[in-house]
Amino acid sequence: MDFDLTDLQTLLLSSAGKFLENEVRGVVREVEKSEEGHSFDVWKKMAELGWLGVVFPQEYGGIDGDFTDLAVLVEEMGKVLFPGPYIPTLISGLAILEYGSKAQKEQFLSDLIKGHLVFSPAIIGPDLSMGTPEMEEAIIREEARFVVSGTRLFAPFAHVADWLLYSAHMDEGPALMLIDTRAPGVRVTALDSIGVNKPCEVVLKDVTVPRNRILGHMGQGRDIIGKLESWGALAESAYIAGMLGQILKMSVEYAKEREQFNRPIGTFQAIQHKCADMATDLDQVKFLTYKAAWTLSRKLPAAKEISMAKSWASDASRRVAFMGVMIHGGNGVSAEHDMQLYFRRAKSSEMTFGDGDFHREIIAEELGL
Amino acid sequence: MDFSFSVEEEQFQQEVVRFFKKEKDLAEGAKGEWDSGLGYGPNCWKIMKKIGQKGWLCPTWPKEYGGLELSYMYRYIIMEQMHHYLNIYASVGAGMAGPVILAHGSKEQKDQFLLSIARGDIEFVLGYTEPQAGSDLAALSIKAQDQGDHFLINGSKLFNTRAHFAQYHWLGARTAVTEPKFKGISLFIVDLKTPGITISPIWTVGGTRTNEVFYDNVKVPKDALVGEVNRGFYYILEALDYERISTVGGLRRDFHEILEYVKSTGRGKDPLIRNKLARLATEIESAQLFALRVAWMLNRNQVPNYEAAMLKMLVSEVEQRLLNTAMQVFGPYGQIQKGSKWSQLDGKYERSYRDSLESMITRGTSEIMRNVIAQRGLGLPRG
Repeated sequence: MDFDLTDLQTLLLSSAGKFLENEVRGVVREVEKSEEGHSFDVWKKMAELGWLGVVFPQEYGGIDGDFTDLAVLVEEMGKVLFPGPYIPTLISGLAILEYGSKAQKEQFLSDLIKGHLVFSPAIIGPDLSMGTPEMEEAIIREEARFVVSGTRLFAPFAHVADWLLYSAHMDEGPALMLIDTRAPGVRVTALDSIGVNKPCEVVLKDVTVPRNRILGHMGQGRDIIGKLESWGALAESAYIAGMLGQILKMSVEYAKEREQFNRPIGTFQAIQHKCADMATDLDQVKFLTYKAAWTLSRKLPAAKEISMAKSWASDASRRVAFMGVMIHGGNGVSAEHDMQLYFRRAKSSEMTFGDGDFHREIIAEELGL
Repeated sequence: MDFSFSVEEEQFQQEVVRFFKKEKDLAEGAKGEWDSGLGYGPNCWKIMKKIGQKGWLCPTWPKEYGGLELSYMYRYIIMEQMHHYLNIYASVGAGMAGPVILAHGSKEQKDQFLLSIARGDIEFVLGYTEPQAGSDLAALSIKAQDQGDHFLINGSKLFNTRAHFAQYHWLGARTAVTEPKFKGISLFIVDLKTPGITISPIWTVGGTRTNEVFYDNVKVPKDALVGEVNRGFYYILEALDYERISTVGGLRRDFHEILEYVKSTGRGKDPLIRNKLARLATEIESAQLFALRVAWMLNRNQVPNYEAAMLKMLVSEVEQRLLNTAMQVFGPYGQIQKGSKWSQLDGKYERSYRDSLESMITRGTSEIMRNVIAQRGLGLPRG
């Protein structure tokens, strides 16, 4: 049993902390109004620090770490609301590493790890009861290629991505296709959302996809999507842990300084008990996430653990952010204060890669219900 | 980061499980007695002695006092299985009184009590709470006067739960009127058969017996004092530090029983029930991680304080939600008590639901735990 960070993690975090504090804190506010929604400068520096390669083998330029290393790093990123396509690119890379052909790995992985290529999974089809997509689903099979049309929603940062991991509906089930965003017929539109996470609408119209751009074998698509979702859920949980840690820190500092009725509001038990509940929620998120990351790293079945982490993280994300706003009072709702940035991103993160109810259903299945 | 037991710890866990499986009948008898709310019956005493003979009640203690000189992780492993098989996961002697005697007791006290505690031959009852001293423990007023060759004790105690079957009172009493109040408290070990002591039962909503203990001119020998006079409150707090390990062994057992019930009655398709059980499984998992964190800290000679408060609060609150979920799963049948053919799982959860209220109050209420987390953990100022 060991709840401590490893030497590698300590090293990783000490350099991460400096970079994030000095160069990333505050960036989210600057980039929110921009079209990109992230900073290429920060992205480049982050990649130089090797963060995209944490869980990749050295042969592709990675550092051969495991998922606990990834979890503690992404947690640090969450503390400063690191904006940008880190998680979508990372999980796409993991899918290529696990399912890709030799040629695909060679083509993509080292460039991805260097930060030269941004990826976005486009795996969520539109719910027809929510709106009418302009492009109908269609796949034409030809000898050496497919011609694909369709709409995918909420592909994170797809508007700045070089490649999409697009799930196409085949007769055999879903197939994951690597699609160049510059290919004719690809149109990506970023949707304004509550958080700075740039979910995009991806519309394909008669896009030509060569056969060798299919990831994995035909019929593996469902597994790959499942993997993408669980890596994503794990990473998002770690990001939430970081956000909640920062919300708690801000709230406690505020409660110590802010005076009403001639004393700091932090002396009031109504405030203290909120902070205690926030701290407890935070530790639950952290340990469930670390445990899931550790389980995944040991190559053990981790579906239940990951869903436990994300279900708790999702609900805690909403709860803790809400309490943070309440403790900050009027400042908590002021656009000038950072609290509202966390509040909004917390809501996006709650819903990204499955909300609490979604993951509890997975847990129920894992329990044999 | 590592969330597994070492090979040795795992082997030890298997050894403990084998013991309880071998003693299945005795363990079931003891659990039945304990769950009745009446305290230790003959089976409880018998199995506690068997556990004690193995050195498992006080595994971290020196060998000369009946321990095994093992680390806290082993104590955690034993407590988890005791929780699972008996619902009794610690004795007051082994968890609170013993460690203080070990740290501050006289040579005579150590010789007289420690081995008997470790062997499971005797038990203590905590004598802290009084009608006006609950969460504000320093307000206790039972008076112990130094009469030269003995102490004379007068006053009363409330909710001293093990008084009717323990042999010794672990008594906090006022030896000086001071400001602040906590500086005038001393700790005593009192034989409950001493003349002048009356124990009268109080029944809880859960059907558990607890007690009022009255002291009427009770003469207690000078050597009943533990450590230094007027230092009792510090020892009381220290004893709380010793007893910070908690487990979810019993919660997991009950969760699985409810899960199996849901499956066998075909209610597992109900989305509301699926959602509730999934949430509970998550909460129990997180509580277990809190428990392991505290055991791990103790293993490294760190004193958990807010971490232990979080654990205590979470375990007791999750227990409440678990039992509430059981009641919801049963629907209107959940209210029917043991004995009726319509009661589910023999009405066990109807009683547990009532009885679990106590765990959110005893050893520090959930509100006190939140104060500890906020003040000691987060550094918020006291009001």
